[in-house]
This record gives sequence, C-alpha cells and structure tokens, in this order.
Amino acid sequence: MNADEIQIKVSQGAKPGEGGHLPGKKVYPWIAEVRGSTPGVELISPPPHHDIYSIEDLAELIHNLKNANPEARVSVKLVSAVGVGTIAAGVAKGRADLVLISGYDGGTGAAPRTSIKHAGMPWEIGVAETHQTLLLDGLRDRITIETDGKLMTGRDVVTAALLGAEEYGFSTAPLVVLGCIMMRVCHLDTCPVGVATQNPELRKKFIGDAEDVANFMRFIAEEARELMAELGFRTMNEMIGRNDVLERKEEIDHWKAKDVDLSALLYRPEVGSNVGHYAQVEQDHGLEKSLDVQELLPLCKEAIETGKPVEGTGSIRNIHRVAGTILGSEISKKYGEKGLPEDTIRLKFKGSAGQSFGAFVPRGVTMRLIGDANDYVGKGLSGGKIIAHPSPRSTFKAEENIIAGNVCFYGASGGEAYLNGKAGERFAVRNSGAKLVVEGVGDHGCEYMTGGRVVVLGETGRNFAAGMSGGIAYVLDEQEVFASKLNKELVLSEAITDEAEERELYELIETHANYTQSDKAQRILDNWEEMLPRFKRVIPVAFLEMRDRIEGFRSEGFDKFESEMRAFELSQKSEEEQLAEQEKEEEHNGEVDRVYGV
Amino acid sequence: MGKSTGFMEYERQGRPERDPQERVKDWNDYTLPMSDEEAQKQGARCMDCGVPTCHTGTEMAGGTSGCPVYHYIPDWNDLVYRGQWKEALFKAHEQNNFPEFTGIACPAPCEGACVLGLNENPVAIRSVERSIVEKGFENGWIVAEPPKTRTGKKVAVVGSGPAGLTVADQMNKAGHTVTVYERDDRLGGLLTYGIPEMKLSYDVVLRRIRLMEEEGVTFVTNANIGKDIPSSQLEEENDAVVLCGGAANHRNIDVEGRNLEGVHFAMDFLHANTKSLLDSEHEDGQYISAEGKDVIVIGGGDTGTDCIATSMRHNCKTLTQFDIYDKKPAERDEAVNPWPQYPVIHRIEYGQKEAEAVFGDDPRAYAVQTKKFVGDENGQVKEVHTVNVKLKFDEQGNKYREEIPGTEKVWKADLVLLAIGFTGPEQQLIEEMGIETTKRTNVKADLNTYQTNKEGVFAAGDMRRGQSLIVWAINEGRAAAKACDEYLMGVAEPV
Repeated sequence: MNADEIQIKVSQGAKPGEGGHLPGKKVYPWIAEVRGSTPGVELISPPPHHDIYSIEDLAELIHNLKNANPEARVSVKLVSAVGVGTIAAGVAKGRADLVLISGYDGGTGAAPRTSIKHAGMPWEIGVAETHQTLLLDGLRDRITIETDGKLMTGRDVVTAALLGAEEYGFSTAPLVVLGCIMMRVCHLDTCPVGVATQNPELRKKFIGDAEDVANFMRFIAEEARELMAELGFRTMNEMIGRNDVLERKEEIDHWKAKDVDLSALLYRPEVGSNVGHYAQVEQDHGLEKSLDVQELLPLCKEAIETGKPVEGTGSIRNIHRVAGTILGSEISKKYGEKGLPEDTIRLKFKGSAGQSFGAFVPRGVTMRLIGDANDYVGKGLSGGKIIAHPSPRSTFKAEENIIAGNVCFYGASGGEAYLNGKAGERFAVRNSGAKLVVEGVGDHGCEYMTGGRVVVLGETGRNFAAGMSGGIAYVLDEQEVFASKLNKELVLSEAITDEAEERELYELIETHANYTQSDKAQRILDNWEEMLPRFKRVIPVAFLEMRDRIEGFRSEGFDKFESEMRAFELSQKSEEEQLAEQEKEEEHNGEVDRVYGV
Repeated sequence: MGKSTGFMEYERQGRPERDPQERVKDWNDYTLPMSDEEAQKQGARCMDCGVPTCHTGTEMAGGTSGCPVYHYIPDWNDLVYRGQWKEALFKAHEQNNFPEFTGIACPAPCEGACVLGLNENPVAIRSVERSIVEKGFENGWIVAEPPKTRTGKKVAVVGSGPAGLTVADQMNKAGHTVTVYERDDRLGGLLTYGIPEMKLSYDVVLRRIRLMEEEGVTFVTNANIGKDIPSSQLEEENDAVVLCGGAANHRNIDVEGRNLEGVHFAMDFLHANTKSLLDSEHEDGQYISAEGKDVIVIGGGDTGTDCIATSMRHNCKTLTQFDIYDKKPAERDEAVNPWPQYPVIHRIEYGQKEAEAVFGDDPRAYAVQTKKFVGDENGQVKEVHTVNVKLKFDEQGNKYREEIPGTEKVWKADLVLLAIGFTGPEQQLIEEMGIETTKRTNVKADLNTYQTNKEGVFAAGDMRRGQSLIVWAINEGRAAAKACDEYLMGVAEPV
C-alpha cells in the first residue's frame, strides 16, 4: 500500500524474453523471507506471465492492480521493438497510466553475454514509434511514456523528450555513482564493491551515498536545461514529441551509416490541434462503479474502523470483477500485512463471479461463493480465505465439474482456499504461502511454486510442478496416472510417511469438508486408511534438502535465523568441500575405531 | 578470471625474498621462487572484471595506469589458477616479447590499476608473470621460432636495450633481416648495465638474446654508430633504420664541488660494477668501490635503490639516501591520487630493506636538497651540505622548492652517487644524422608512424619518449616495428 507505482514488467530491454534467475547462493535467509521462498534455493522468474496471454488479460491485471492500490500508478514495461507502438496502444486502452519503452543497452550486470550483444533495439526507435502510434490513435494524452536503457546524460533526456518520452529512467550511471565498477558478476554474489551482493563481508565495502546520486542527477538536469535553452524551449511539456528540431548528422561517413534511414524516427504525424501530445488526461479506471465501492465498503466500514465482526450476503454477476480487492486494500492500508483477526468480515456471494474474485484479499476477510467463478480467483491472495461451492440445490456432481477458471491463486502469498470442484489451468502458479484445497486442476498446476501447500483431491493436467522450487503439493492419484502428468525436473513424488504431514493433510481435507460440504472430501476422510496411500506428495528436491538441514540445526537448539543461516552456508559449500569434510570425519572415526580395536 | 571467490579466500602474496642479511653477501637473485600452488592461488585472486583496468596502459596524472603492452592479464591469471601453465606462457607472450624482463623489473602499473586494488591488496600480477615465464624456461617450452620466410628487407636497429630488442624480435619474426648494433661490450643496454645482477642477472638477458640469435637476428657489439660505424653506411646498407639508443644523458646537479673525487653518476657506478663483476668477479678492480665508505645516494627512485643494494654488497660503512620529496603516505590519498592512477605511496624496496636489516635504519632522508659538496685537500669529497625544502606552486602552477631556514645540515661522505634521472638522449648521433628533436631533446617521431623527419629512419623507446619504463620500451618497440613493417611492405587495404 506504500507503492507510488506498480510496474508490470512484460519484458526487459537488456534481455528481452529471458526472465530472471536468482541463483541459490544469493537467496540468503532474509531474501527468502521477503520472497516467500526457501534460503539457498534458486528463484526462477520465467519470461512469460502466466496470467497474461492476451492484451485483455493485461487489461485485467492493470485493473486488478488499480483495485489493489488505487493511489499507485500502474505502468507496463515493454521493450523497444518493431510494432511496439501497437502494443503500447493496447496498453493505453487497457488503462495503464504509463508505458515504459526499454532499450537494449541497459542493465547488463547479470544479463547473458549473448543478450548483451545480440538482442534488443535502441530505445530511440521504440519511443518514436510509440509516440507516433499513440498520437495517431488519439491515445497519447492519457498515458505517460517513459524510457530507459543506458540513459547517461542530459542530452539523452532531451533526445528522449523530443522523440516523445516524458519520463526517463536512469540506473547504470547512478549505480556507478554509488560505487559500481561494472564487474558483471551480479549473479555470482561476489560483487567486490558491495553493490550487488548479499554477502555481509562484501557489503561492508559499499561506499555509496544517496547525496552523490542526487548531485549526479542535478548535473543531468543542468545539462538538459542548457540544451533546452539552446533549442528555445521553456518547459519539458512543450518539448515532448518535437522531433522536428532533431536532425540527422550528415558528416558521419562510416560505410555502415550510409544506408541508415532515420526518416521514420523523425516523422511527425499530422493530427489536429485538439490532440494532446503528452499525458494530460487521467485514465478512467471505473473503480467507483465496482461492487466494492457500491456495496462492500459501506457494509464493512465499521468493521474496518473498529474491527467489529460483520456478515453480509449478496448476489454477484460476472460483470463484477475484482470483488473484495478494494475492501482488502482498505484493510491493508490500516492494518498492514497482519490484517484483521480471522473471519472478522464474512461475505457470502451467490451467483457467477466475474474475473479475479477475491484477488489480493488480506487476513480477516472470508469470502464464500455459492455458484462458480471466472478466471483468476484469489490471485495474489494475501492472507484471506476463499470458499467456493455449488448451491446445495444443484444436481450435478461437484467433484466432476469446473467451479473456477484459469490461473487461480496466481502469486498467492498467504491465506486459505477451498474449492469444491475442479479449477482450470495454471492453478497456484507462483504460490508462495497459501494453503489451497481443490478437487482437480488443469495443465501446469503449481508451476514455479515457491511455498505453501496445495491439495488436489483428483486429477491434474500435464506439466504439474514445473519449475517448482518450494512448498508441498499432495495429489490424490486414484487412477495411478499422476506419474505421467508430473514434470520431474525439480521435484520428487513419493508416498506420505511423515506423521505430522499426514495430520496436516487430514486437517486440510477436514476443513475443506466442513466449509464446502464436499462429498468427495467426506468419502476420503471416511476411508482414510485406504485413501492415504493413494496420495502422492510432490516436493522439490532442493527445498527438501534445505528444510531437512534447517530442521537438523533447529533440533540442535539453534534459533530460526541461526538455523537458516547455517543451513544456507552449508548449502553454499561445493560438493567437493562437503565430501572432504565428510572424509575428514570418517577418517577421524576410523582412528577411534582402531584405538578401540586394539 | 580466476576463481570467482578467490579474492575472498586468499591473501596477496608477492614473490618471496631471501633474508636481507644473507643476500647482501652475494650477487645472486635476491628473490626466491614462488611455489606453483602459491602462484595458482595468486592467479585465483583475479576477479574476472567486467571492465578490467589492469591491461589498458594509459598515462594518467603523470604516471602509468595499467599495462602499456596490454598484457592479457586476466587470461593468464585464470590459466595459472587452472594449472594450464603452457597456455599461460603462450598468452603471456602474445602481447609482451619479454615477460621475464617485466616479470622481474617492472614497477607493475597493472597492479596499481587492478580493480581489486580499489579496496583490497591488488592481485600479485608481476609475481605470477615471473612464475609463468620461469616455468616456461625450466621446461624448455620457450624455443627459437625462426620465421618461415624472409622478405629480403634489411633493418638495422641501433641499441640493444628493451626497445631495440623488441623491435629486432618483431621485425625478425615478420621475416626481415635484422642487425642490432650495441656500443657496449655486452648486449642488453640498461637491462644489463643499468639493473644490477641480484635484480636482473645478465644470464636472463643473454638467455633471450641467444634465442633471438637462433631465430636469425645478428648482434654486433662494440659498435658505436657515428663513431665505429658511420650512420650513412647504416642507412645505405639497410632498408630501414630504427633508433633505440635510449635516453642516456644524465641529469646533473650543478652545485659547488660537483667535480670532486668521489662524486659519480649512479650509472657509472652501476655499469662499472656489473662489468667488473661479469668480467672477473671484481678481481680486476675496475669499478667504483663503496667498501668502508660513507655513501650518500642522491635520488629516491629505482636507480637509487640499485645503488644502495650495490653499496651494501660492497660493504659500505654507512649509507644515506636523499629524496627530494616528502615521505609519501602509506596508503594512496584518494583525493589527489585516486585509483586507478599509479599509487604514490611510501615503498620499501629491496635495497632499503637490506640497509635496514644491516644498519638497523631505513636509509632515507626526505625533502632534502643538496647545496654543495665539500672536499678535502686532495680534492676528495668529504661532506655534503644540504637544506630541507618544501614543494610549492607559483601563480602559474609551476612547481618550485622553497628552502626551509634552519634545516641546513652537513653529512659526512666519501662516495656520492647521483641517481636523479636522465634529461634525454645523447645528441651526437642525432645531430650527425640530421634528425629533428622535440623541445625536450627527444627524437621527434609521432605515435602513428614512429618515423623521424628522415624517411626510413624510425625511433622508439626512451630515445623517442624520454626516460621511462621497460614496459613502455616494449610497447614502443612493438608499435614502431609495426609502423616500420608497414613502411617496408605497405598496408593491405581492407576489402
């Protein structure tokens, strides 16, 4: 709730289409805590967004985020490319407040060498195309254009403004001001100046000072002002898109330059004087028409202010998108991450819910849906509780029917959910802490999950648990087909042997049965001894190793942090070193044996 | 490149040295070999910098930053760390014809510019380089590689110091027929007669020269061009002449009593010492001995250090070194001497270590200016009169030294050695050949063509740039050879 801007990074200029990868050696315990993952286990940010498969999906996410934090600007980062103007137009129509056009020259700290040299395009091309397209479409005045990608000087700022951008991102140069020496080892945790490392010893070498950055930016501004004065502009706004004052340098006689045609960059669309050439009109997000503002907020006003429990029932239709999110946002604003006591606000919805039902809701909110739901149920769930089941009067078998659409609980970080029925594809992708029970899922379930628990009381689609690096999934495999659906790259699939885990699973299913009256859950509980062996426990290998190590240290009497730190340090030793230590120990044991042998 | 965590695991360790009290008793190398394991660790400290500054030699604030021969330092550090010594040797020769000379006697501007040096001790680059090349010679990996074809062009190189040797090596490898003329009786220029035996022994120089001879370079000693052989003959007989005569004009100190007995230029002292040592193990007595004398070395540079170490081996009675500058700080002053400039810091070199070990004190006196020498009735120097000075700058920014009243001092001295540098090349040959010079009396030749005002006559090394480092001489030798080769063979037009 403190963010001024929320950015959807569709791509990055320096490594378009490659995503990110935080190696295990950089996931120190305090990083794992923030990221909702396990110390020492790598974090993969895949290039695709699993909740965005179309421009409509992007518009939906923009709307979701605007609901989650109405005060923050929502921006979309695109990479400079041919045709980026068309995408930017979609972004503008999707009601983003800002579109960022990123060039290929920036952020090369940990980018693969192949990308540094051979991918991406200059921001100049992307900014020019975006500005021109938005002008022609009459969209330019309601979205801000930002650009980045190795902007280093005031001259860059002025050029970007003249090509059509009104905001400018700097990173490499301020980093250098802070002491970065461009080692390109950001991914190795060995940054010798303490900038891009979590290693406490190396961080001591950090010499940066915010004042220096401020000073550097003053110089940038000064240079920009000088150029503006030379060009005769009084404000930045009157400069935006004035590419008529730019001209091609004719004296460059390099043979590669002779065929370069810059006319497309310097083209100025002819539009009427009524068309704004920079952002002047706010996007209309339509939040005041939402179910939250119309009904839920008035109902829960007192509960939010005083914490007094409240209950409410109403009907819901598929035009009601993002139900509960503004309500949740108000709670988070007041109470922070901890939210309200469990079940303070209990809302019952009847009908067919629109997209993103219960997205981002925090603790204290319980949303029961009697009916079914569209895509994105419980997206980014942050501690709230979501229960969905068909009407008791329905005649079909809940366990065989779809109750929720695709991409449910995407990026959930906490809370619980119980779905009496099947969910669609990409269920619980990137879940980092929520406990979820469902009676069947489509393809790509639990992909890139880093924490939490998922119980599937039925069939899964293919590619289950791909890229999963944390948390545990329990899958009921009655037909014995699960092995063919599982992506085994990072995970193990095995029987449940641990008693505590068995108890946890039983309790989750029991709660599910209580909340949803699920027949299937009840059948499982009734025949527990027989059903238990049919559950498969899916757990990432690295996660299991780290968890065992941490528990090992805890049982030796270390506190949570110390245990995690020791386990982390142990995991960073190479296999060789671990082997050497083991041998040393064995050698030692051998000696002892011999002494006793004599 | 090394090991990514090497710099966090290992400490810098330079090449080990012999006990100073012991080593002053002989003229053998004052260092000890570095073990392979240690060299590998030192190589492992290299950080695979995204922007390495060690291998990009530039002049910065009057000093050298980074390696002037653009040595592939991160590459061979990595190869050493991985134990691939032969590959490392190959890499070390790619940019430097004589890594053994620089591995021994270079002040290592690479280490001053090493990125690790920003906040830690830099990588021991020079020690690793020396280990590589010594291993190469030990294992017989460095062998003569004569050119496969000859161009038929003849090139004369005047001077066999590091610049001359580099030019000769490069030109010979390009297939030209090269003759090197040296006016002294031994080859190597200052490598041989300037740097004493315990630091850079003649065997090391000769080892390389023998290889070059095998590769087809002809060396002529006792051949002073302009005296023994007329320069016109050289120009007539060759397609190109490259002048690498060095900057041998001593800087003098023009004060009362300069001509007294016992006041010598450092080079005369060092030259005679090495010659007598190599000729007869000092049996012939043809050298200036410091034995039993109160020695004063004027000048705080490397030559001064060499004079100290040589005097120590002569068993001098006392030893003092004058440095015109104030004592430098132990660590670089980031405000005026930031990384990656060559660090201006207080150093204790091998000579001072030896003097301190034997006499118990560092021999240096700082901010000392010599006012006059006073002799006895036989014209032999007996005293040096000095005053302390303070460095100041006038309104135009020119530096001058102001004497501090009351700091006058008289020092007892039997032997005074002037190690205060050189002013430029000797002018005799230059004048005879009619070659233009710069304001500083150096031979005028630009950095693109290295050609003098006379066609086909080139210049490189100290003779062109003024007194400098071995490594700059190698840089100039390589560049001049390239320019000379292009002059002889033409340049292939890019397609």
